Amino acid sequence: MTDLDFLAVHGLAIRKAGNPASVAVLLGADEADVSAALDRAVTAGHVAGANGTFMVAPAGQAWLTEKYQTVFGGLRADGDLLHAYERFEKVNGDLLALMTDWQTMPAGDARVSNDHSNPDYDAKIIDALGALHERAERVVGRAAEIVPRLQTHLDRLEAAYDQVLGGAHDYVSGVRIDSYHTVWYELHEDLLRILEKKRQE
Amino acid sequence: MMSTTRSPVLSLDGTSVPDRDLVGGKAWSLAQMLSLGLRVPPAVVIPVPECRHYLEAERSLDEEVQSAIRSGIKDLERRTGRRFGDPSHPMLVSVRSGAAVSMPGMMDTILNLGMTDAIEESLATSSGDPAYARDTRARFCHAFGEIVLKADLDPYVTGPTPTEICERVQEDTGRSIPADPYEQLFDAICAVFDSWQSTRAKSYRRHWGIPDDGGTAVTVQAMVFGNLDDRSGTGVLFTRNPLSGAPEPYGEWLPGGQGEDVVGGTHAVVGLAQMREHLPEAVSELLDWADTLEKEHAEVQDIEFTVESGTLYLLQTRAAKRSPEAAVRIAVDLFDEGLIDHDEGLARVTPEQVRSVLMPRLDPAVAAAASVLAAGEPACPGVATGVGVLDPDEAVSRSAAGENVVLVRPTTSPDDVHGMIAAKAVVTDLGGATSHAAVVTRALGRPSVVGVGKGTAASLVGRHLTVDGRSGRVYDTILDLVEARVEDDPILGRIAAWAAGSSPLNVVDHPVEGVEVADLDLLLTDLSARETPIDVDQITAALEGFSSARGAILATEQGVRAAHDTGITVVADCPLLVQLTALRTLGTPGA
Repeated sequence: MTDLDFLAVHGLAIRKAGNPASVAVLLGADEADVSAALDRAVTAGHVAGANGTFMVAPAGQAWLTEKYQTVFGGLRADGDLLHAYERFEKVNGDLLALMTDWQTMPAGDARVSNDHSNPDYDAKIIDALGALHERAERVVGRAAEIVPRLQTHLDRLEAAYDQVLGGAHDYVSGVRIDSYHTVWYELHEDLLRILEKKRQE
Repeated sequence: MMSTTRSPVLSLDGTSVPDRDLVGGKAWSLAQMLSLGLRVPPAVVIPVPECRHYLEAERSLDEEVQSAIRSGIKDLERRTGRRFGDPSHPMLVSVRSGAAVSMPGMMDTILNLGMTDAIEESLATSSGDPAYARDTRARFCHAFGEIVLKADLDPYVTGPTPTEICERVQEDTGRSIPADPYEQLFDAICAVFDSWQSTRAKSYRRHWGIPDDGGTAVTVQAMVFGNLDDRSGTGVLFTRNPLSGAPEPYGEWLPGGQGEDVVGGTHAVVGLAQMREHLPEAVSELLDWADTLEKEHAEVQDIEFTVESGTLYLLQTRAAKRSPEAAVRIAVDLFDEGLIDHDEGLARVTPEQVRSVLMPRLDPAVAAAASVLAAGEPACPGVATGVGVLDPDEAVSRSAAGENVVLVRPTTSPDDVHGMIAAKAVVTDLGGATSHAAVVTRALGRPSVVGVGKGTAASLVGRHLTVDGRSGRVYDTILDLVEARVEDDPILGRIAAWAAGSSPLNVVDHPVEGVEVADLDLLLTDLSARETPIDVDQITAALEGFSSARGAILATEQGVRAAHDTGITVVADCPLLVQLTALRTLGTPGA
């Protein structure tokens, strides 16, 4: 078994379901390698697949939980990584507040949906997202010194932010694309799984 | 290179409005208020060409600009009767960036610059509130450390002393916050100029084709003291009610507060009526000025102001943020008042706003009589009904079979997103209005209620539910919803009439009898997979051989382009939505 045999199932589990291309992007791995690994996972009964879309099977979930112990056991006791994770949770709180500011806006003392009709308001949030991204670079960068694979998420965040700067505003919090929030959510899930932390919301 | 006469600092005195490209949007807006005869705190501006001088001089402020800045400060001292760095009668200033086009990555505002040990002490004595003086200074140190010195600090909370913050800044950056006010000022000005070259600003300019050799101006403005005495304070005024759109001014007033206090929401605020009891002249002047500004901009204004010992100063005015209902009403009212024409009125209303006004609602009487199964934080407005389902996969399969499903989850993680997409509404046990679940449901436009309490989701499984994402309540059974229609709403009716007159597309609500209508919702289903947005060519291809079409995609930018290119007639339940999208995408015909 290769590392990728494990990582491909882990990456798939973060997204629940997906094709080899989307798992490869999430892992920063080669698509053909991921595809082969997922095929082997189907044979092993860890993953169910049809028409190029794969999904973690219940047996695969149990297998992952067991593997996590051995693969991530050392990391779960790594003080530096735990410290980086604590900082990440702080930035996470600010990111979610910022996403909320993007999606809603004050109208007097109430909040209403942001219909993006006020470019000045949106511009301020896009700027704040850039400042937050700089904080994320420091925090996730520290974690990536310990788990180099995490750098991929940072690159994807950078790409999403770049789209936003170019005017593709759906890349702030859009759901069906690799928006800043989509990538962040997956990075968060990745960290929670590595460190066996419980999601608080 | 020979240069024309250099003017490194311009005084904003209301005699003329300088070129926006020269002084940036911020100073331009101040100059405009001054030219209307309105009072703003005295300000000077270091114009854009100085940014280029600075960057060409390897990021240093030369003697000439330094001495011009000192004269500029003397000018502000004369106009305020205070002195920069003098504890007995201190003048503090704000420093802001201001490019002609505002862009991400430019330096944020620094307030209360010029603050020193001695001034903190004198403020403590004069205000009789040492804690307040310390907090003001701590805020300044935090902002200076974070914005000018680029220290990695947690967001500001009251608590740490200025000394503690300075130590943290020193530790992180190796630089200290200058004790000398002029040094603070020069550092802040350099930081504004430097921010023109920040990574974010550069990538923004690359994306939008803005030349790199422009630059930013710096506005230096005297602070007014909203915390000076009991005839001082700060507030915001909306020229119309931002929630309902009613043509009545709406204000929030914080007695004894400084500008950032209202914005930060740290203190309790009171309404305009209470302010009037206390400061009747300031309020009547404020309302007068607000009217002037609204007429000048032909747009609802959100005005920040401060009163110092009974004297009113305007700090900023800009287009007010408003609810969808308000946006629609205001567009019609401004037209009736002769401030805008049809086309401008249509440009002020977005399809999203109309969609939101037309969202189905719960009849309050029906809601009051219904039984509430769960209550939590409202996370995404709207009402939806369906059967409670715990498992996201089950939500997907039952929804695919045509059932309305409400996804009920203890918490949500990325692997639940497909279930959230399939569901009509989402309810979660844990989390608040800023949870991942809340962010995802808002992005999807799914009504949601979060934080209903541990174990509640499980109790909702299998029940028929009505989820009200506005009140945060989950009701037993499927309640009847009130459908809003353009025809029933007199204000939307007016806008619909304008749109019908200006629409670049032919849109009808019923197809001509006997004409076959292409249903794009069906024709394009195979293309609606993740990562691939449907493009104009794909829609155009699907329209081949038809003269009429319907489908949700026709109310999108790509959809109206395809409809325009092919010349088809669009059939839509709500023609207004398609027409507004068409007007925004294609422009007014003949314009």
